[in-house]
Amino acid sequence: MFFHIVLERNMQLHPRHFGRNLRENLVSKLMKDVEGTCSGRHGFVVAITGIESVGKGLIRDGTGFVTFPVKYQCVVFRPFKGEILEAVVTMVNKMGFFAEAGPVQIFVSNHLIPDDMEFQSGDMPNYTTSDGSVKIQKDSEVRLKIIGTRVDATVIFCIGTIKDDFLGVINDPATA
Amino acid sequence: MGRRMPRGRDEDDDELDEEEYEQPAMDDEDELEDEDEEEEDVRGGSSNRKRRRSDFIDDVAEEDDEEEEEDDDDDEDYGGGGGRGRGKKQKPKRRAGSEFFDDIAQVASDDEEEVEDVEDDFIVDAGAELPDEDDGRRIHRRPFVSREDEQEDMDALERSILSRYAKTSHTEYDEETTEVEQQALLPSVRDPKLWMVKCVLGREREVALCLMQKYIDKGPEVQIRSTIALDHLKGIIYVEAEKEAHVREACKGLNNIYLNQGIKLVPIREMTDVLSVESKEIELTRDSWVRMKSGTYKGDLAQVVDVDNVRQKVTVKLIPRVDLQALANKLEGREVVKKKAFVPPPRLMNVEEARELHIRVERRKDPMTGDYFENIGTHRFKDGFLYKDVSMKSISTQNIKPTLDELEKFRHNENGDASLSTLFTNRKKGHFMKGDAVIIVKGDLKDIKGWVEKVDEEYIQVRTSIKGIQKTLAVSSKELCKYFEPGNHVKVVSGAHEGATGMVLKVEHHVLIILSDTTKEDIRVFADDVVESSEVSTGVTKLGDYELHDLVLLDNMSFGVIIRVESEAFQILKGVPERPDVALVRLREIKCKIDKKTHVQDRFQNTVSVKDVVKIIDGPCKGKQGPVEHIFKGVLFIYDRHHLEHAGFICAKSHSCIVVGGSRSNGNRNGDSYSRFGGFKAPPRIPPSPRRGGRGGGGRFEGGGRNRGGRGGHDALVGTTIKIRQGPFKGYRGRVIEIQGQSVRVELESQMKIVTVDRNYISDNVVVSTPHRDAPRYGMGSETPVHPSRTPLHPYMTPMRDSAATPIHDGMRTPMRDRAWNPYAPMSPPRDNWEDGNPGSWGSSPQYQPGSPPSRAYEAPTPGSGWASTPSGSYSDAGTPRDSSSAYANAPSPYLPSTPGGPPMTPSSASYLPGTPGGQLMTPGAGGLDMMSPVTGGEHEGPWLMPDILVNIRRPSDENDIGVIREVLPDGSCRVVMGANGNGETITALPNEFELVPPRKSDKIKIMGGTYRGATGKLIGVDGTDGIVKLEDTLDVKILEMSMLAKLAQV
Repeated sequence: MFFHIVLERNMQLHPRHFGRNLRENLVSKLMKDVEGTCSGRHGFVVAITGIESVGKGLIRDGTGFVTFPVKYQCVVFRPFKGEILEAVVTMVNKMGFFAEAGPVQIFVSNHLIPDDMEFQSGDMPNYTTSDGSVKIQKDSEVRLKIIGTRVDATVIFCIGTIKDDFLGVINDPATA
Repeated sequence: MGRRMPRGRDEDDDELDEEEYEQPAMDDEDELEDEDEEEEDVRGGSSNRKRRRSDFIDDVAEEDDEEEEEDDDDDEDYGGGGGRGRGKKQKPKRRAGSEFFDDIAQVASDDEEEVEDVEDDFIVDAGAELPDEDDGRRIHRRPFVSREDEQEDMDALERSILSRYAKTSHTEYDEETTEVEQQALLPSVRDPKLWMVKCVLGREREVALCLMQKYIDKGPEVQIRSTIALDHLKGIIYVEAEKEAHVREACKGLNNIYLNQGIKLVPIREMTDVLSVESKEIELTRDSWVRMKSGTYKGDLAQVVDVDNVRQKVTVKLIPRVDLQALANKLEGREVVKKKAFVPPPRLMNVEEARELHIRVERRKDPMTGDYFENIGTHRFKDGFLYKDVSMKSISTQNIKPTLDELEKFRHNENGDASLSTLFTNRKKGHFMKGDAVIIVKGDLKDIKGWVEKVDEEYIQVRTSIKGIQKTLAVSSKELCKYFEPGNHVKVVSGAHEGATGMVLKVEHHVLIILSDTTKEDIRVFADDVVESSEVSTGVTKLGDYELHDLVLLDNMSFGVIIRVESEAFQILKGVPERPDVALVRLREIKCKIDKKTHVQDRFQNTVSVKDVVKIIDGPCKGKQGPVEHIFKGVLFIYDRHHLEHAGFICAKSHSCIVVGGSRSNGNRNGDSYSRFGGFKAPPRIPPSPRRGGRGGGGRFEGGGRNRGGRGGHDALVGTTIKIRQGPFKGYRGRVIEIQGQSVRVELESQMKIVTVDRNYISDNVVVSTPHRDAPRYGMGSETPVHPSRTPLHPYMTPMRDSAATPIHDGMRTPMRDRAWNPYAPMSPPRDNWEDGNPGSWGSSPQYQPGSPPSRAYEAPTPGSGWASTPSGSYSDAGTPRDSSSAYANAPSPYLPSTPGGPPMTPSSASYLPGTPGGQLMTPGAGGLDMMSPVTGGEHEGPWLMPDILVNIRRPSDENDIGVIREVLPDGSCRVVMGANGNGETITALPNEFELVPPRKSDKIKIMGGTYRGATGKLIGVDGTDGIVKLEDTLDVKILEMSMLAKLAQV
């Protein structure tokens, strides 16, 4: 799920950036530092949409660096248990397949793939129904439900299922 | 008070009582029975008389029992007191019955009596009744205590006897003991203590008997009260005594006691446990799982089919371990070779197979159950299982934990659910914890879910969420099973996968399928073995001396990387590059860990060492890339975290890989070889030298003179870099530290140590014969004039370098780009690094190090532009969403390598500024200087640029111009004349700005290293990395490394 929230961060800025462009430098550094990161609490920071406030800088002894507390608005993406996501399959193996929805990697185990789909090894490993009408392979787009998340310090890993109503392949590049 | 109630046990006490009563009587010598009785009356009251009467009756009975001997005995013992008259006679008689195992206390008192008798009475009555034997015994007994003492001690003894037995005599006559009274019987602090004594195994009873005998023999000297040998305790007896010293004294001289192993006090609380009999409840029901204790099937899982409690027998179902062939042989009367150690593997019996071997199989009906069994000899089979009658003693029933595998085999042809639920009957107690989610698996409440509220001994209070059930339900632990839902993160706490964590994928009754966090494989575990946990762990990572991801050598000389550690074995990805080959290997099959630091060459002859990032360009894993974890015999083990099989390890030949990233360890090598002991701890992150890009060309300009520190200074070898040809360090390179006669001390480049090698073992072809005294670089301090001349070059060269070098660097560093996400690049944020770098120190660098990358970094376009790139652009650029985030890390990377270079430079510049010539050469600063320039610090010592060879100059315009080296300047740079024929403009270029033109077949070449250095010749063939050269002078044909050869300019 996406959220638009306000976060705060203490930015350290090198003295060389002091001057007319200080704020810009600060913002660009903030973007560089923050966007794309992931925290267990908030999920992935997708984009910074605006700066709420920049606090007073504090000059660090010795280094000359200045610490600014910066409040910024950002869009974060956090997967939840039970959430339905659309994702692109990145890898298929006999244990299941991996799909990615933006920055989140989701594993769908073969236990959570409908029983009528079987693994076909080969050049392009895939899961195919017995009649061959549905095929999951690399680059397929699937709709899946997240049944569990594991949140590490810097990464969120999910396991998903397509063994439910209305889940499964939504767009197959092979057939399209 | 019915004094005689517990007859057998109380005898002693009774007698003692009487003894007590008697003694005064005896003291008074000729006291009559009446008087005696009177006294007793005073103490015991009228009931005593009653007892007396019953004594008579008892005695009669006893006499019957104990035959005539006793009478004799009686006489013997009490004859001395014969003068006491008839009435008294009764008493001794009664006592006599117990005399054999009587207390010594009594004997002792008897002695005293007799002493009295002897003194006074004896003479009077002696002739009448004293039997001879008694004398002998008395004499035997007496010598221990002198008479006088005895007399004096009389009162004390009486007291002691009183105190010793008074209490017991009081308590023991209570017939109906209530619980409170039972409690009162428990030993207290005032009671004698129980001591545990070690003795020889199997001699417990003997020892106890010996002690008893000793007690009988020695009397009160042995101050122990009792001794106990328990059948179920091997090598231990218990002795009851007041003090340890008493026990020690009593045990002294006994053969089978280990006194030196200490006498342990049994704590009061545990004293009762010593003697309490634990009633073993064997709950054997049909379908429960047991294990065999002995025989062929020892340790095998068995299922109870039938229980015969009367005969203490059970019928169990086993997976047969029958060697049909052997059986057939036996039946046919052939010779059966008995192999002792051979136990046939468990396999379901196939009757058809047996018939084929001409084994008679009879089909019979069991009269009891009506089932049909196939009978082979004495064995009964059904559905392939062996049915066996065994005694209850030969199976173990407690805490049987069948593994999944075993159950799978049993489940073969039955509905698994039923058998699984029986699993819970014998499991360990107390594995439910408050808060556990549980589900009821048996009984009326089946399938109700809830949470554990409280755990009692056997019943567990479960709170359910069902409306209408407010109270907690008390459920037997046998009917409960832990419950998990898909998506729970759990940890396995027991069983084969103990320690692993993962997410629950699927719940199949009692079995969970878990996706392991580390291996990304699914594992099957029992719900019972699992607890919910947020912890992420790898599970077991170590077994024996070997750890996960170690490279090990196996028995059959194959090798591989441990990719998984199981409870008893390792999974090993073998070093077979053709296909992934995983083997399950036991601990003992592993010979040793391979911990060798080697490097190999990739397809393009770039050196690959551990931690270098390589890309596989050939073979089944083509396209994968990752850091090299191990190198052995030309096989690389690469860790690609996107590779999900084999724990991310890929095995590939070194020749099917190319180095893609900056090698950290290479950087280390360069730096370390000089500065390792010099205190430069910061690993210099030196970008891969440009020469790597080309075919080993550009970087020929090696620091031949760089470490001519000449610390020892006396030998030309000292300070040079050599290669060890033989011995345990064969193949290692190192710097010669010192020469002592025939042995050379070498500081190894790849290891943090200095080794001593025989001088003959080092190959000096690496040693370049340039005069090291006037090493160009070190002359710098004094050769100040050089500097001004070169400074102006910089503006000129900088653009050139930037354009030329940057693309290379970027390309090479691509894998490092996503550093922020990269587990194998655990670095501080690049940005900070860059900003932290001290620009002040950089300032000085260009002057001293014209060729060093740091200088370039400094002069490069402002870093700020690096992160000016629009985030969106890079986002879409990146291949995977994850990478996108790191797009920022991209920009600073070119500068990054320079940063660590900065600090080391500072000391160097400082040391140069004073400008003291000569003396400076050996300062660490000099080392630091070298280290900054990877070009000079490379490991190719051999080739050394020479005039008249063709080079390719890299131009800003990206086109390469051919030039000819005219002169090699002392500082390492070269004067190059542009144009293939040497007729263009003359420039000065650094070695990293050009690369050698690789000679082709039938080109004229010049040899730049080795013994033939300087010679010219013709390349008549190329064989891999070697070139076949025909020397011009001698017309000899030599095979030389291609890297030693340079194309000669046509002049």
